Amino acid sequence: MNEALERNEVTERLMAFVRERFLDGDPHGELEETSPLVEWGVLNSLNSAILLNFIHREFAGAVPLEHISAANFRDVRSISAMLCAQR
Amino acid sequence: MTYRELDLRADAIARTLAERGVEAGDRVVLWSAKSADLVASTQAVLRLGAAYVPVSAGVPPRRVALIARDCTASAVLAPEDLLDTLPPDALPGVRMVAPGTAREDGPRGAGHRRGPRPEDPAYVLYTSGSTGTPKGVVVSHSAALAFVGWAASELDAREDDVFANHASLGFDLSVLDLYAAFRAGAAVSLVPEYLAHDAVALVDFVHAEGISVWYSVPSALVLMMREGRLLDRPPPPGLRAVLFAGEPFPIDRVRALARWSAARLLNLYGPTETNVCAFHEVTPSDLERDRPVPIGRASCGSSLLVLKDGRPAAPGEEGGLHVEGPTLMTGYWGHEPLRGPHPTGDIVRVLPDGALDFVGRADSMLKVRGHRVEPGDVEAALSTHPAVEEVAVVGAGTGLDARLVAFVVPRGTGMGVLSVKRHASERLAPHMVPDLVRFVEALPHNRNGKTDRAALAARLADTAANGGMS
Repeated sequence: MNEALERNEVTERLMAFVRERFLDGDPHGELEETSPLVEWGVLNSLNSAILLNFIHREFAGAVPLEHISAANFRDVRSISAMLCAQR
Repeated sequence: MTYRELDLRADAIARTLAERGVEAGDRVVLWSAKSADLVASTQAVLRLGAAYVPVSAGVPPRRVALIARDCTASAVLAPEDLLDTLPPDALPGVRMVAPGTAREDGPRGAGHRRGPRPEDPAYVLYTSGSTGTPKGVVVSHSAALAFVGWAASELDAREDDVFANHASLGFDLSVLDLYAAFRAGAAVSLVPEYLAHDAVALVDFVHAEGISVWYSVPSALVLMMREGRLLDRPPPPGLRAVLFAGEPFPIDRVRALARWSAARLLNLYGPTETNVCAFHEVTPSDLERDRPVPIGRASCGSSLLVLKDGRPAAPGEEGGLHVEGPTLMTGYWGHEPLRGPHPTGDIVRVLPDGALDFVGRADSMLKVRGHRVEPGDVEAALSTHPAVEEVAVVGAGTGLDARLVAFVVPRGTGMGVLSVKRHASERLAPHMVPDLVRFVEALPHNRNGKTDRAALAARLADTAANGGMS
């Protein structure tokens, strides 16, 4: 599996979680990789913790997680970049 | 930063503001993330005999402009990158100043031309207003000082203390952190806003900074316990007081905190309009209660009046809490000054020993994770969305799991949750953006034709009971 594909996969799994958990499934497909999650109020302190727990569950073993900080959660693209940079 | 450096920095910023025409009696909006320059800016404004209006960096430009217009600010002091987001014509006549441009090599003593009078405004804190316009709570030097003096004395604040500043400067909790520290010459560690999103890092911060006095809303402490593993390691050795305010603290979490640390636990009470007017120190017997600890007794020389049908409530009775005393606000900016006691809108119960228990609200104001939100404020912002036909906002859940829920009747199809959140976040403070959005065909109305919020809240309770609400 090449690196670009892995990154796409990480992005897809993050997008799916954010849609399902915070956006009622996002039936109109409004969420984009670059939608600002904190700025638009999708991630507040509690939701960031929920997302961080998901990342720990979902990517444990595949990625060293000790340097992943929810303080840097800007949008899905930046989160998956952070995760893939750790590989 | 030392106190000397703070003094020099405040002086430099005061000089820059004075050069740009800020004078005694003005208001200056401070729009910034937490930083040493922000703290210096508060002192710079006070040195000029003006009042500061702190607004956190997360508040969108549109609301900042609304606030600056409401208080007829003479200047907005903010970092360049934030100033750039304000539309050029948003605030005609208002000076835009970046504190980064202030230089420390000029003449000293720009301020100090005349000391403020005790009754002059020191700062204006904007809070959610029920009609869609934020309300500016004007606090005088004497009111702030009455509170700070009480807090420093009750805590026996000392030079070797390290106060954590968790709340942003726009919230009244920050007044204690900063000014009790100033009063004692103690250190204050500013908790960066982004740490709110990382409970583990926030707990690390408490240890790394050697915090001795912590003050926050209970939700922040619950998040640190639940997601940041606060209780998994011993408390920082210097921790001697944990203060909380803004909402009821679930008693089992207070018990856990008391088991973890021998620090004093203090429940402070008071809407922004009164600073802190009551407090209660948690005792071992409180931990056997099955409900949150009392809000306690009067502090800061306040008088607490509990009125039931116009007469003082007797022990065991509930009534509306009215507050009088030296810490009261001057009034809301642009409105008649407050005369007589302030009706808090809170319902309390008088306990047999005269202390007070918080019961609830007399109106529709909500507390969401310690922050007050007027549903009408959020509804006014959302109803300007072109695809929103009708909207009602209610609260669900309590404590950390409290949610602001918007019921939206859409106009046409195609609108989703993200669009609603985006629209709200462009107009409201971050804590006022709805957590959940529910699209409905119609809103329930009561016999007077008003939206039936109770029916909506009940609908949410049903969903939660069936395990449908995450």
